[in-house]
Amino acid sequence: MQMEKIVEMSHIRKEFPGIVANDNISLYLKQGEVLALLGENGAGKSTLMSVLFGLYQPEQGTIRVKGKDVQINNPLQANDLGIGMVHQHFKLVHNFTIAENIVLGMEPTKGLSINIKYAADKISELSKHYGLNVDPWAKIEYVSVGMQQRVEILKMRYRDAEVVIFDEPTAVLTPQEIVDLGQIMKNLIKEGKSIILITHKLNEIKAMADRCTVIRRGRVIGTVNVQDTTLAEMAEMMVGREVNFSVDKEDHAAGDIVLKIRNLYVKDNRDSLSVKDFSLDVKAGEILGLAGVDGNGQTELVEAVTGLRKPESGKIFIHEEDLTESSIFHRIRSGIGHIPEDRQVRGLVLDYPLEYNLVLERYCDPPYAKNGFLQKEPIRKHAEKIIDIFDVRSGMGPTGAARSLSGGNQQKAIVGREIDLDPEILIAVQPTRGLDVGSIEYIHKRLVDHRNNGKAVLLVSLELDEIMDLSDRIAVISHGELVDIIPADQADENQIGLMMAGVKND
Amino acid sequence: MTEKIGKKSKGPLGGFKAPVIPRPVVVGLSAVILGLIAGAILMGLTGNNPFEGYQYLFKGGLMSVERIGDTLATATPLILTGLSVAFAFRTGLFNIGASGQMLFGGFLATAVALSWTALPRPVLLLCILLAGIFGGALWGLVPGLLKALFNVHEVVCTIMMNWIAYWTIYYQIPKYFKGAFLETESAKIADAASLKAPWLTNLFDGSYVNYGLFLGIFAMIIVSIILNKTVLGFELKSAGFNRHASEYAGMKVNRNIVLSMCIAGGLAGLGGVTLYTGYAGNIQIGVLPSQGFDGIAVALLAANSPIGVFASALFFGMLHSGKGFMNAMTNVPPEIGDTIIATIIYFAATSVLIERVLDKIKSKRRGDK
Amino acid sequence: MKKAITLLMVLVLALALPLSCKKKDNNAAGAEAMKVGMVTDAGTIDDKSFNQGTWEGILLAEQDMDIETKYLKPTGTTEADYMKEIGNLIDAGYTFIVTPGFKFETAIFAAQDKYPEAKFVLIDGTPHNADWSEFRAEANVVSIFFAEHESGFLAGVATALQLQEGALGFIGGMEIPPVQKFNWGFQQGVIYANANLGTMVTMDAENILYQGSFSDVAAGQQLAAQMFDKGVKAIFCAAGGVGVGAINEAKSRAASGEEVWIVGVDVNQYADGLYNDYSNSIILTSAMKRIDQAAYDMIKAELAGTYPGGETLTFNASNNGVGIPEENPNLSADVEAKVKEVFAAIQAGDIVVSAEQGDLIQ
Ligand SMILES: Nc1ncnc2c1ncn2[C@@H]1O[C@H](COP(=O)(O)OP(=O)(O)O)[C@@H](O)[C@H]1O
Ligand SMILES: [Mg+2]
Repeated sequence: MQMEKIVEMSHIRKEFPGIVANDNISLYLKQGEVLALLGENGAGKSTLMSVLFGLYQPEQGTIRVKGKDVQINNPLQANDLGIGMVHQHFKLVHNFTIAENIVLGMEPTKGLSINIKYAADKISELSKHYGLNVDPWAKIEYVSVGMQQRVEILKMRYRDAEVVIFDEPTAVLTPQEIVDLGQIMKNLIKEGKSIILITHKLNEIKAMADRCTVIRRGRVIGTVNVQDTTLAEMAEMMVGREVNFSVDKEDHAAGDIVLKIRNLYVKDNRDSLSVKDFSLDVKAGEILGLAGVDGNGQTELVEAVTGLRKPESGKIFIHEEDLTESSIFHRIRSGIGHIPEDRQVRGLVLDYPLEYNLVLERYCDPPYAKNGFLQKEPIRKHAEKIIDIFDVRSGMGPTGAARSLSGGNQQKAIVGREIDLDPEILIAVQPTRGLDVGSIEYIHKRLVDHRNNGKAVLLVSLELDEIMDLSDRIAVISHGELVDIIPADQADENQIGLMMAGVKND
Repeated sequence: MTEKIGKKSKGPLGGFKAPVIPRPVVVGLSAVILGLIAGAILMGLTGNNPFEGYQYLFKGGLMSVERIGDTLATATPLILTGLSVAFAFRTGLFNIGASGQMLFGGFLATAVALSWTALPRPVLLLCILLAGIFGGALWGLVPGLLKALFNVHEVVCTIMMNWIAYWTIYYQIPKYFKGAFLETESAKIADAASLKAPWLTNLFDGSYVNYGLFLGIFAMIIVSIILNKTVLGFELKSAGFNRHASEYAGMKVNRNIVLSMCIAGGLAGLGGVTLYTGYAGNIQIGVLPSQGFDGIAVALLAANSPIGVFASALFFGMLHSGKGFMNAMTNVPPEIGDTIIATIIYFAATSVLIERVLDKIKSKRRGDK
Repeated sequence: MKKAITLLMVLVLALALPLSCKKKDNNAAGAEAMKVGMVTDAGTIDDKSFNQGTWEGILLAEQDMDIETKYLKPTGTTEADYMKEIGNLIDAGYTFIVTPGFKFETAIFAAQDKYPEAKFVLIDGTPHNADWSEFRAEANVVSIFFAEHESGFLAGVATALQLQEGALGFIGGMEIPPVQKFNWGFQQGVIYANANLGTMVTMDAENILYQGSFSDVAAGQQLAAQMFDKGVKAIFCAAGGVGVGAINEAKSRAASGEEVWIVGVDVNQYADGLYNDYSNSIILTSAMKRIDQAAYDMIKAELAGTYPGGETLTFNASNNGVGIPEENPNLSADVEAKVKEVFAAIQAGDIVVSAEQGDLIQ
């Protein structure tokens, strides 16, 4: 295996209004290696890779591919140079089939009509080759996120990419899918492809990458050999300070029941029951973790409790007040806070400025509104406060559109907003999805604080570690039914894994 | 400009050094210029001198006090229908029904103007306005309800409502408000019951400009305030940008859809008031007012900003009223005049393309430095 | 960008200045020719009806006399819209103005005072104020009316004679006097032919309809299809665009071998009914108003100094102002001859066609 530099980016500078996203960044990728790009949310990783992929034009700097200076004006040119990218937020057309999505933009034609059959055959073949198990005729809207990612991977393979960029590929995957992805990447390397892996999960870097370039606030901090570096060292390079990996959590006596769910039945979009006879109590001063494999009714359960979905039957109480029939407006004011599963769909109005998003539930309450008029000052102050406390990085501050924030900062904004509501019960669904260790540490701390303040937290997460670390009690859901609830200090990972598969304790 | 919020800051290159002229203005002006250039080519191809043509086009709209008055008068209903469409757009709805809303609002207004003539003028005028707003709002309410309750797309529904208004007016006017002889229009509205203002007419040398102009300006200010400063505007726009997030935040999205359509309808209805009780002086049957559809173009060119609507309505008003003089002074056929307007609309509608080009220019420039 | 705009402005100015001077020279040179303008009603200049008829008369006059011509298309159909175009014409020197249709009545009423130096010809209407309380034609206005009922009568006779038997229909646009008069005249013609010329054609109430607009092409097509399905052989359409729909329906049926006819209106519509590669037409004949003639005559009168200012003229059979076309390829020579006789009888006053409904249908 020859180790030539297949991609070389030198002195790249990219500015956005009010922020330098990439400041004089240089790095290179060698043939056949996995280079990790490590950095906090908003460090500029996605931007740098978007420059390489032709989505943005840098203000300064040069790119060399296979030793030749190139100008990459758009993704098509990047494809031609053999560069492919799996984006952080997938770019798939939901009501198209997988095959259609893969050929989109480079449709094989037979005469004038698109020859989708040919494409589908080729996709099946590729899929088998890499062990991806992709059905070319399935529609995107009916397949899991992990499958969508495989589609993105296939898309690049279909286009014969030699350099593959993964932008935070594991953020959306289940543990099993992460293992599978590791295998897929190994296969790619075996074939002589080269990979740039963006992540802020240190374990993954340890497991998958050869070298690691660390970026902080738009600048390169350094590049290290993964084998010779410890997790703590990498974390410190990334965050700029020492990071505490374990959650400090004192014992805390649980109080009264805050949220009471009784015999809840909820249907999903396809009209089948996805929550069945579900009862649960969450008490003041505790974090109750709800563990389960993705798609086992967590979404529907949370939507029913927060009022986004009407349950078929059953009851929901907050402090003994029956909220089953209440409006969302009322539920929020009765003390339900909600960090939603999908920040871009539910959590934010992307086209609104950040400051508006930070009062999304309270815009009509004083001091943010008076006599039906929005009050600029208090809204601005409130935004500045949350930006400050939760370290939300936004190029244009409170007035920047939520869309312009990086994913992690969007998440921090939502978490900040909900915690600031000081709700009786905070329903946190995947609260740290897509965040870097520094932010995760901080958000975890805030969740624990919330509990310490005598409030209740219902933590719904697909990451078992997170549940184990934070929870006082762990409830497991499988096929929409409550399997069991166990105290966290008596739980071990294997046992919970079994429960998640529906095996009950005896 | 009160239009910073939520607009246009999203482009990846949304102006690194804050641009002096706001982006929508640049885009709008580019659309206009491109439209004019395309029109010039068209004139050239039909054997006319474009410079001469445009000279008379602008003169026709502006060369005398009376003509300026007529430009304003022509623009008045466009301001209101433009606001109607823009308001709906800002809240995520596509109101193609401004015509029908105008028609029905104008119908009720005309009915009041013809029936309650005994009232003192200020009271009567107020009743006329309210009737017009009510009629338009009613015509917006139905599509709003259907969308909120049954998820019927408002485009389909508003088009249907256009025709319901058309035929309602078609049969009701001859039946109840017929003029002395003509079957096809209502009786003439007495000057005292209309928006006509002698002092304005005199000020503008006998032009048709009327109180409707002030209604337009007033509505523009109100809409601007609602959208940018109020809790209501916050909710309505939020529903337009992201329905799911609005639900999540506890807003009553369905109620807001209905409300948006009612407000949009009410604005168009007010447009109907200015058209029928101000500009025309009565209501004709068998005509869907074209101003309702022109409103879409006005809103597009204005990037849905209220002030922009005002400016672009004036511009369209000028084109419409200058066109005739251009046709009279040159050999440019009247149809070309319409085509030029259509071309500008086309460029406004494809402003996304213009934005792309602007982005290109900007990044090229930066590359040069 | 800025540079480009400045450049453009400079260009515009540079080119516009000399041109605007040149224009003035032109004006001076052509100042003698009379300038005749027209404002169109709703619809296009080639509406196969009023606009087109008037404009053709003006163009004919342009061929024969030393005049300049121009038509303008208003944005709407309100008095204000019409007044603006009249103003545009006058500002451009077109001081002899022809306006087609009764919708111009109030506009001309206002314009005759506002522009005393201009002269107007109002076809199918008479100037009056908005609430019809005052009728007044100054010396700079001529009003022209047509005897539509006579025209309809002749078309009815011709249709009955040509078809001899079977059902006929009528589709009107809006239910307004000129259209009604066509209808009533047509019915009288049919009755006359059945009674005196041995024909056996019928007209049922269900086949006499007013669609309600002059523009709904699709509705016209539908109505015609319904009538043809019921066995109607010929439909008299006085309905503008609605008639266009009926003509389209008839054409597609005729192309597939059905025997269906349309009787045209206002102008000779024969050419509109051509099908089979323009070899045949489904227009049996047309009930014409010689609008072109009227416009032509008034221009001619003005040039001759005999403009009948302030008068109301009626164009009818006796002054050849209405009738069916000179040539009707779908009528037999025999039928044409008989219609000519009937025409002469109307001219002579032997036959009197009523302009009222009487006991006719609708
Ligand atoms: N299109 C954009 N417009 C304005 N600012 C942006 C845009 N995209 C990213 N940014 C800003 O640039 C910085 C880097 O973002 P990004 O590259 O997405 O970070 P990450 O390292 O998390 O991928 C962030 O502060 C973000 O807010
Ligand atoms: Mg990123």
